Amino acid sequence: MLDTKEISAKELTKEYLNRIKKYDDKIQSYITVTEEKAFSDAENAQKIIDSGKASPLCGIPIAIKDNICTDGIRTTCSSKILENFIPPYNATVMNKLEADNAVILGKVSMDEFAMGGSTQTSAFAKTKNPYDLTKVPGGSSGGSAASVAASLCAAALGSDTGGSIRQPAAFCGITGLKPTYGRVSRYGLVAFASSLDQIGPLAKNAHDCGIILNSIAGYDPHDGTASKNNTIDYTSKIGQSMKGMKIAVPKEFFANGIDEEVKSAVYAAADYYKSLGAELIECSMPSLKYAVAAYYLISSAEASSNLSRFDGIKYGHRSNVGEHFNELISNSRSEGFGTEVKRRILLGNYALSSGYYDAYYGKALALKQKIRSEYADIFEKCDVILTPTTPSVAFGVNENISDPVKMYQADICTVTVNIASLPAISTTCGYNKNGMPIGMSVIGKQFDEATIIQAADAFEQQFNAAAPVL
Amino acid sequence: MDLEMVSYLSKLGKLSFSDEELSKMAEDMTSIIEIMDTVKEIDITYDALADNHNVYLNDLREDVSQPSMETKRILQNAKSSNNCFVVPKVVE
Repeated sequence: MLDTKEISAKELTKEYLNRIKKYDDKIQSYITVTEEKAFSDAENAQKIIDSGKASPLCGIPIAIKDNICTDGIRTTCSSKILENFIPPYNATVMNKLEADNAVILGKVSMDEFAMGGSTQTSAFAKTKNPYDLTKVPGGSSGGSAASVAASLCAAALGSDTGGSIRQPAAFCGITGLKPTYGRVSRYGLVAFASSLDQIGPLAKNAHDCGIILNSIAGYDPHDGTASKNNTIDYTSKIGQSMKGMKIAVPKEFFANGIDEEVKSAVYAAADYYKSLGAELIECSMPSLKYAVAAYYLISSAEASSNLSRFDGIKYGHRSNVGEHFNELISNSRSEGFGTEVKRRILLGNYALSSGYYDAYYGKALALKQKIRSEYADIFEKCDVILTPTTPSVAFGVNENISDPVKMYQADICTVTVNIASLPAISTTCGYNKNGMPIGMSVIGKQFDEATIIQAADAFEQQFNAAAPVL
Repeated sequence: MDLEMVSYLSKLGKLSFSDEELSKMAEDMTSIIEIMDTVKEIDITYDALADNHNVYLNDLREDVSQPSMETKRILQNAKSSNNCFVVPKVVE
């Protein structure tokens, strides 16, 4: 519509900003709306459109998870400790979106420091699920997912350390892509667990996710773990036949603890792929039962180290109380961090401390190798793997929040993908009896995002998605 | 997990808790560690050498100086004086 001049970039931006004003009081997805910047971005985009040199993202209004640094725009990580933090630089993904003339609508809410699966640990905006305001949107990229689902942006960026793009995408009935570790630069993403974190898109469908990945993927000298592998057009396989594609279905992902409605929706999707000519392969991942523990040990160990930079001296909340150096740091951190962040720091310190290191952190690293090896074995026989994204649909805003163990266990379907550095995409495959979305994940080989986007798109083409009623 | 261990871990993480918070944290950490203990059930060992071969290791930039950020921007989120961070007195 932008290309054919049916609507101008400014009109499109205004439409989204009006929707934010109208609906976000109840959804609470945005922490910061950058109206002035959005209009200025739209004006620039329109000039490019008028010149006939527009990229696919030119003039498209996008929301950004609030742990991605935006030069001159507050970046809070949904934490009191960064309440007034204004980054002095852009994350690489922001420079890439700006180079493609996307319109930035603002910063969206998340679980504090991306630690959680509900967005209810946010210090500023406890986002609600657009399908049912009494339910969580998932997390940690809950603001990203809810804003896309409620059409308060055309697409959003999120980050995924253990499922934080895919799980909220599943809960909010949209599509979320976690790229291969190293495919997208992490420079400017506030670090949670550096060996697992990855930025990715959330959008209404797999095709849009591919378009955004085309913009943000690529090598970056500022990120020592960014891959030098060539990027490709990640939408290039869309529309190709699914005939002959080998899809593995690991039985452990359909075991006890996964809701029956979720299982049957994902099995039905598998049958649909079969009807398109794909071949279904049964397989097994015996280490899945240890995955949640391994994930929490590794991610918390890394988080306890990464979060030590928040001292109230260089940036972030600084306590008014503390005459001595260590006292000031301790008070600043204790006042600034929320309960879940503190739990993770303590768990990380425990896993790394003398006398416990081998039993916990060392064992978690061994399990990481085992999980990677089990994935490698499965991928010798298949092209992609199909699993549920979550054990259940979105839960109530007051459920599970005070029970960290229950929250952690709910990550069972997503964490192994991060542990094995794989790409995965979650898309909606059904609705439960109450109309809440059910998500399925297509997991790919490293750097094979194009195939999982192809598979997700093939399903979406025949699926009747139901938009939330606001 | 007992209160002594939680206090020790808090000190390592430069965090302080009230007595009530500390008790609740000990309770939470006890249930969390129960889950983490499942890793003890499996008899495997980490092979650091294998990781060195398999994991894409840091690709460092060339050691060439580049313009750095302006001091004003570095200090824009800090309490500062004379282009320096302000900290409590550390030497008597």
